[in-house]
Amino acid sequence: MNFVDAIRLTEILLGFAFILQSIEHLKSFTNERYLFLPRLLLALLLIIGFHTTWVVLLLFLLSLTILYHFQGPYNGGSDRMGLLILCCLCLVHLAPSVYWQEIAFGYLAIQLVLSYFISGWVKIVNPEWRSGQALKDVFQFSAYPVSESLRGWAKSPQILFYVSWAVILFELIFPFALFSSTALAIALGIAALFHFSNACFFGLNRFFWVWISAYPALLWFQLRFFTPG
Amino acid sequence: MLHTLKLLLPAIVPSWRFFDFIAPSPRIQFALLNGADDTAQKWHEFRPRPAHISFKQMLARMLWNPHWNESLFLVSCAERLIAFPTRHSEDEILKRIMADLKYHSLATSVTTATHLQFRLLMIKRQGSALQHSVNYHSRIQPLSGQALK
Repeated sequence: MNFVDAIRLTEILLGFAFILQSIEHLKSFTNERYLFLPRLLLALLLIIGFHTTWVVLLLFLLSLTILYHFQGPYNGGSDRMGLLILCCLCLVHLAPSVYWQEIAFGYLAIQLVLSYFISGWVKIVNPEWRSGQALKDVFQFSAYPVSESLRGWAKSPQILFYVSWAVILFELIFPFALFSSTALAIALGIAALFHFSNACFFGLNRFFWVWISAYPALLWFQLRFFTPG
Repeated sequence: MLHTLKLLLPAIVPSWRFFDFIAPSPRIQFALLNGADDTAQKWHEFRPRPAHISFKQMLARMLWNPHWNESLFLVSCAERLIAFPTRHSEDEILKRIMADLKYHSLATSVTTATHLQFRLLMIKRQGSALQHSVNYHSRIQPLSGQALK
């Protein structure tokens, strides 16, 4: 994927993620509608590619207002990733040369890799994750399982032990996928499935759409820096 | 401005420490009261999760999940209240309980309540058992007549 296409695809995917988020607030309180209706319109403009530099800048300013309104991210990590992508897109559009544009977009790709690797690292150094207890706790008493029936998974410690290790190992070896475009495509497919399962089990649908918005940056980064010739 | 930049910084330089340890988990419970000096007799769990959700519903929630995402925001507010209590977090929770009371049938059966209070029940694992403790009580908030109609 070339640089221009990767940026364009990131804009389209992020615009779609922002539209889904914004629509959810349109039936909410009046002051939220005032924040999210403009965001919905700007996200549409981002998708069609209308004056993109101004649109990403306005989206960034609006995101700061939303951050202030909720005194932090509305949905934790997914909002933060959305802001990170938006910041990088702003820098790409404002950068004075292709060199600085690549640095801004490359930063997004590196952060995407770190989002998996560091998540794996903090788990493997924790004995409760290594024993499967942490994942059991998530199902047993955390606020995340979307239904009471899912809490039943806490009674299958053997399965949760293997799932914990599968997640930890996948997150830790993710950076090695950069050495092959095929491996990266497979790794991103598995990662998307991981986010999809988190969306199903824990209702984290916003993570799915925002994280895949950053994938084009990594596909470009791999071709740019890890593919010979 | 400085405060907003402080909120922005974790997005620009993220820590990516998702689920590094499983912290005590908050549940929001509310009580309807008959006056500003009334004492809560019965606590209701706010937005109890359904017994079961089908795969079809899960797929639909990939695109449309406002209720759950709002509940996740309220979990964040509850965690913030435990870590560093602010009026903002308390207001956000009270506002949404009142909105739910307005729209759900629970409100129609309660005609005498004039005030509302919520508390935060924290659940954590102690050894092999789950431990429940009440860690926070909100202020007692008057319910406007409209909120219950």
